[in-house]
Amino acid sequence: MSRQAQLMAVRARLSGLESAPAARQVRVDSPEPSAVLQIQKLKRDLMTESVPTFVDRAPRAVLPFGDSRVDACLPGAGLPLGRWHELTGEGMEIETAAVAAAFAAVLAAPLGQRGEVVWILRRDDLYAPGLAGLGFPAERLIQVCVRDEAEALAALEDALSAAGVAAAIGEAESPDLTAGRRLQLACERHGATGFLVRRRLYGEAVTPRGSAAATRWRIAPAPSEPRPGEPGLGAARWRTVLERCRGGRTGAWIMEKSDGAHPLRVVAGLGDRELDSTQPVRLAG
Amino acid sequence: MRRLATVDARAAALGLFAGQKATDAVALVPELMIAEADPTADARALARLADWCARFSPAVAADRPDGLFLDITGVDHLWGGEAAMMADFAARLARNGLPIRAAVAGSPGAAWALAHFGPDRALAGEAMEALATLPVEALRAPDTDAAQLRRLGLRTIGTLAGLPRDQAGRRFGPEVMRRLDQALGVAPEALAFARPPNPWFARLAFAEPISAPEDLARVAGDIVERLCIRLEAEGRGARRFDLAFHRLDGVAEAVSVGLALPGRDAAAVTRLFLPLLERVDPGFGIEVVTLGARETAPCLARQPGLSPLPGDSHDREALAPLVDRLANRLGEAAVWRAEAFPSHAPERAAARRPPLSAPTTGGWDRERPRPVRLFRRPELVEALAPVPDDPPLMFHWRGRAHRVRRAEGPERLGEEWWRRPWSEADPASARDYYQVEDETGARFWLFRDGPYGGPEPPRWWLHGLFG
Repeated sequence: MSRQAQLMAVRARLSGLESAPAARQVRVDSPEPSAVLQIQKLKRDLMTESVPTFVDRAPRAVLPFGDSRVDACLPGAGLPLGRWHELTGEGMEIETAAVAAAFAAVLAAPLGQRGEVVWILRRDDLYAPGLAGLGFPAERLIQVCVRDEAEALAALEDALSAAGVAAAIGEAESPDLTAGRRLQLACERHGATGFLVRRRLYGEAVTPRGSAAATRWRIAPAPSEPRPGEPGLGAARWRTVLERCRGGRTGAWIMEKSDGAHPLRVVAGLGDRELDSTQPVRLAG
Repeated sequence: MRRLATVDARAAALGLFAGQKATDAVALVPELMIAEADPTADARALARLADWCARFSPAVAADRPDGLFLDITGVDHLWGGEAAMMADFAARLARNGLPIRAAVAGSPGAAWALAHFGPDRALAGEAMEALATLPVEALRAPDTDAAQLRRLGLRTIGTLAGLPRDQAGRRFGPEVMRRLDQALGVAPEALAFARPPNPWFARLAFAEPISAPEDLARVAGDIVERLCIRLEAEGRGARRFDLAFHRLDGVAEAVSVGLALPGRDAAAVTRLFLPLLERVDPGFGIEVVTLGARETAPCLARQPGLSPLPGDSHDREALAPLVDRLANRLGEAAVWRAEAFPSHAPERAAARRPPLSAPTTGGWDRERPRPVRLFRRPELVEALAPVPDDPPLMFHWRGRAHRVRRAEGPERLGEEWWRRPWSEADPASARDYYQVEDETGARFWLFRDGPYGGPEPPRWWLHGLFG
């Protein structure tokens, strides 16, 4: 109802503007001094006051990685909350999206303390015990299985704009700019954080498109290194590339799942896709 | 003049019959005990019996004065088949002193005919075959029609059905043909199934039939509000609302929505109904709208419009509107919460629960390696595993070779033998799970089914992917 009322108001204003060109013409021809002053003041205000545009909006809350090499690249020294982030895989991962899902779970795990987490799935193959093993509160996770891309984006938007939801993770192919902005608006309603895991169930790889995401990460597995003298596998490692970051810089690191205060530990920075732990982080862009 | 309304088996054996003059009957059997017929009490008893039959089928119709129709479509397998269900039904009634005749057939008409005129406990396969030899009275046509048929020498349903249809129809009237078709299952028959009375019911009737989409939306809002006001006055909420649009041609177009928590917010329920109204075909017009609320429960009054701030508290009730929207759009099975189930079989370790049910204590064992993605069916891989009881050195999955760099395992998970008949349990059918990492660092959950040493080499399967 309120939506309809708003629409009515906008329509009324538009029709008012359209029907008044003659009146405005007169005013421009013979501007009154007070009107000129008023316009100048408005212009001055516009110049000085911070205009609420998308890029300049400083993130109110962030989720720090706990490592200066990563946090330095992110605006506000941490993963901005109340925005949405894109996670992409490579090769077979485009279809299975296991690595990106694990990374999203690790990132979203602390948000489970603030409210509910919703996961929108394209195929119901998410395994809660595995998420629990990553330290994610999987018992409270609400899982939603959708049938197609449009439903996935609509459900993600719906979940992000709902009260009580701290984070929503969605699996979708590639949202266009409009869908991305809608997700951003949904995030801003209650400060929920979105994670979009790029997943395409059939067909060829997804071409990355310009998007309204706050950050875009490319996640790939990296060979683990067990501690000396220990058999078997080490902690899971990921080659994470911060491909795009609004208000920040890009970067690439090897990260490892850790049991410490921060769920991720930076093992090494990556330059030119070569692992070199002695070299400082090279920041692209 | 007093006549016998009905007789029991022993009286029938003495030659008495229903419709006989009472004085004649007493003359034949001087020690006869006659009880006054009480049709209203009979009808009440039949209704109670119909209620009791709800344990067999949700759709039970009383067929006065002394019959019951049970629609057992889709429920007979719970008793192990139609014959077993009928035997159980008859045995339970016999234990209560109610001798019955029963039959199972594909249409109510055929079942009625067999139960009244056929062999007892008949199981009809083909309606025509079963009915052919029954007398024409089994058709439930008016007595005069049946008598007319008999006078013309048409004693059985088979001979009647064998006549050319247009001539028979002209000769015996539409009623006989309708009953014949109903018995053969080619014409529909509406049974008045007994329903449990629902006090949460609202009805709107219109002077003029409506059909415009906006009218449907408006009446949906009106009727929901009407019922929700009543629910609020009683301090109750409902989890399910069934809205039915009754068309002029007798068809009811029904839509229903479910709520995750009992509710009575008329605006919210109406919003859930609106997208469903597209499916409603108004036909020539809708004259009556009914709304029923089910699964009602006491529901505390909450101040509407107060949503908790993010990070405030875990107020799961705040999530109810979101869950309702998603569940009604995508289906109730599409929204769930995983819960630990005490089973070591990976497929059964995560059970689905309603999304807003209270989380139980006890989660999964975080020390055991479990994948992030678990395939519904394990995928067969070609593995190169030359050393027994060791992880494979290499495997092919979806057209790509993966060289195993590191591995952890095995974790042996036996089958849940207690879920199968004792004779089928096989101690050798255990799975050895390995967590392996290939040269790129991707991690897989592989298992080998069964031990080495059998007639065939064990196969390797990929069951999940780690992140």
